[in-house]
This record gives sequence, structure tokens and C-alpha cells, in this order.
Amino acid sequence: MRISKMRYFFPIGTFLFLFLDGSVSQIFASSFFSPTRAVESRLILLWLVLAICYGEVEHLLLWAALAGLMFDLYFTGVLGIFTLLLPFMVYLTRNILTFFKPSFIVVLLIYLIDVTVLTALFYWVNVLIGFTSVSIVTFIGRTLGPTLAFNLASYVLLYWPLKRFFEIFR
Amino acid sequence: MQKFSFNKRLVITMIVLIVGFLLIALSISVRNNRNAPLFLQKIGNEAGGIVDRIVGGPVKGVGNAAASIEDLYNTYTENSKLKKEVDTIASQKVENQTLKQENKHLKQQMKLNQTLTAYNKINASVLTRTPSSWQNQIVINKGAAAGVKKNDSVLSRRGLAGRVTEVNQTNSKVELLSTTNDSANRFAVRLTTSDGTVVNGLITGYSAEKNQLIMGQTTSKVKVAKKTKVITSGMGGITPQGLLVGKVVRVVDNDEGMPARIYIKPAADFNDLDVVTVARRVE
Repeated sequence: MRISKMRYFFPIGTFLFLFLDGSVSQIFASSFFSPTRAVESRLILLWLVLAICYGEVEHLLLWAALAGLMFDLYFTGVLGIFTLLLPFMVYLTRNILTFFKPSFIVVLLIYLIDVTVLTALFYWVNVLIGFTSVSIVTFIGRTLGPTLAFNLASYVLLYWPLKRFFEIFR
Repeated sequence: MQKFSFNKRLVITMIVLIVGFLLIALSISVRNNRNAPLFLQKIGNEAGGIVDRIVGGPVKGVGNAAASIEDLYNTYTENSKLKKEVDTIASQKVENQTLKQENKHLKQQMKLNQTLTAYNKINASVLTRTPSSWQNQIVINKGAAAGVKKNDSVLSRRGLAGRVTEVNQTNSKVELLSTTNDSANRFAVRLTTSDGTVVNGLITGYSAEKNQLIMGQTTSKVKVAKKTKVITSGMGGITPQGLLVGKVVRVVDNDEGMPARIYIKPAADFNDLDVVTVARRVE
């Protein structure tokens, strides 16, 4: 009975956080995108990482791929990037987690590693397809730093509520 | 057995990667060449649009509440400033009307039915923004059903903001002028110097560090004063003429004395868009 509840809540949460990323970017656009910084909100990744650490979710890779496909369709219009990157992040997180027992600090560090890898890979793909031509130095200073700062803050805010959520419905 | 499973994993990884790259290549070619995205892409986009309206509504409500409190603080100073401006608006309006009337008569006399400045307006509100620092892209809530077509120009309240890159039935994607995409469509622009010379050119790039548009490929070798207004020239057949792009900030000459690059401060604020207008040239 409990498993079936998670079966409905997880996809809803996945898409909620996916579209929240866009809404947050739109509302805070003037503070997110300025000449000196560009923040990429990655709440969807936070949701997936906490689901891996504290929840028991079936077909997580599939849901990650679906969420990635939706991201590509609706936000960027270039298919195949997040469709592959999000399942890869799930795979990576699972592998890292085999060495640790989840706690606030451990999950925080894993999440920061994930955000760094995802942002760097996303930058690399965009350089590859000619959507950007900024240097690695600019990328680290303008995008990676602020992105890590914002996602760290969102992690601190959402860690306890989401952990409770996954533990109740596990 | 160990070796076999390793090989299997390798093969699966390779297949997944190849499929991924094929998808990327496919969607970029669709984006560059076709007017509408593929059928499956469209279905996903419609579904996304509907869910996003549900999710985005409450979030926007919270954002608006915060903004209205901020507005309340600024109202008094703003009000006293605006009062002074209102007086001039009335006289400008009358002048505008007279000029419009005159323009209409002159056009009738010349038997010009459609000019480059005529365009249809479609108002749309912004649904969401791409959470990516490599694509400055927004999604608006009007699509093919409302008459939006690919490559239409998009205006903010203050000036030119971008161009439509993908049209679905009920929503479409708009690439902002601040995009550094190599394959982005270029706007043909022009400016008129104080002595009446017209300089034509293209928006060839955007400097993110300074928030300035770069006008290149200029046609004329004249001195351009700062704060000269830059408008779209209507050349190229898609963009209407006379949309405000911005004001000249500085001019960088190359060795031959041709103004190689003119830096423009954009009139639109690309990070403060909630309502936009799609301008479709009347054919």
C-alpha cells in the first residue's frame, strides 16, 4: 500500500520540481542572469538525489530519463542532452552512495559533486553544438560558482522537508 | 562470464550515446530548417505548457505579491516624477495623431498599401525561462493557434527583445537578443546620424560582460554620435521596420577607418520580461 503511494507521488514531484526550475529562473531572472553571474537552478537534481538517498523508488532511471526528455522538449528545444545527463547523474549518485552512509553533510557533498559534473557536462555539450563560445575561466567564474551557491542554498532549505517526505512514504 | 557482462554494458553505453547524439543532431537540424517541430516534439511541448501553467501560476502569484510590496515603497517618488511627464505626453499624442493622419494621406496619394513599418501585434505573457546560462530563451503562451510564426520579432515594452525560434500550437519559444548562439538569426538594423546619413548593419553579437549588443558589417564610413537611436531596418523580409533596438554607446574603428563595431545599449531589459508582443510583418 505504501509503495503504491510513492508510485504516484514520485512522478508528480519530479515534474513539479522540473517546472519549478523554469518558474524560479523566470521570476528571479534579474538576479539570476547578470553580466557577472548566471545561475542554473537544478531543483530537479536535488529531488532525484534525495530520492536515491532516502526513498525507495522503482524505475528511477526511467523517470530521470523522462524528466530529462521533458526538459529538452520544453525548455531548450534540443533533444538528447538532459535525456542522457539526468539518468547518468542517477547512475553516478548511486555508485558514489555505495561508499557512504547518507547524512546531511555526505548528501550535501554528493549533491555539490553532482551539480558540478552536470553543469560542466552541460557546458561541454553546448560548446560542442555551437550554442556558446565562452572560455572555461568565464564558465567557472560566471556560471559554475553562482550555480553552486544557489543550489547549496536550495539544498539547505529543502533537505529536511524532502527527507521527511521520502521517509514517510518509503 | 565477467567479461561478457562487461562487453554488454559497453555496447549498451555506446548505443545510448549514439542515440543521444543522433537526437541532438536531429533536433538542431529541425530547429534550423523547418518551420514547425516534429509531431512528437509538439505533443510533448503542449503537455509541458499545460503542466507549466498549473505549476507556474502559484509561483508567479507569490512573486507578484513580493513585487507589489516593493512597488508600494516606490510609488510616491515615482508618482511625483510621472506627474511632470504626463503634461508633455498630451501634446505629443496630438502631434502623433496629426503625423499619423498625414502619413496615411501621403500613403494614399502614393498608392502605397503596405509599407515596411506595418505589422500585426500579438500580445503574449511569458510562461517560463530556460534554466540554462547558454540559452537565453523564454517560453510564451501564444502559438500557431494565435497566428505566431517562426522568425517573428518579439518586442518587450521598451524595445526589440528577440525572435521566435519554435512554434507549437499553444506556446512558442523565443530566443532573446542576448543569446550568443552561433546560428542565431541576425537582425538587420540601421541608424541615422545627426547629418542625415543612414548606416545599415547587422546585430552580429552580444557582449555579456557589458550587456551591449554589437552592430557589425556596417555600410557607411561616418562618425556616429553616442546615444544615436538604432532601429530595425526591415531588410531581409521578416522583421518590420522601425522597432527600437537601443542606443549607441561607443564605436570601435578598425584600421581602415570604417566603423567596425558599434556597441549598442539595448532598450529592452532581457531579464525583466513578463509580457511581450510578437510583431508579425503584414505581407
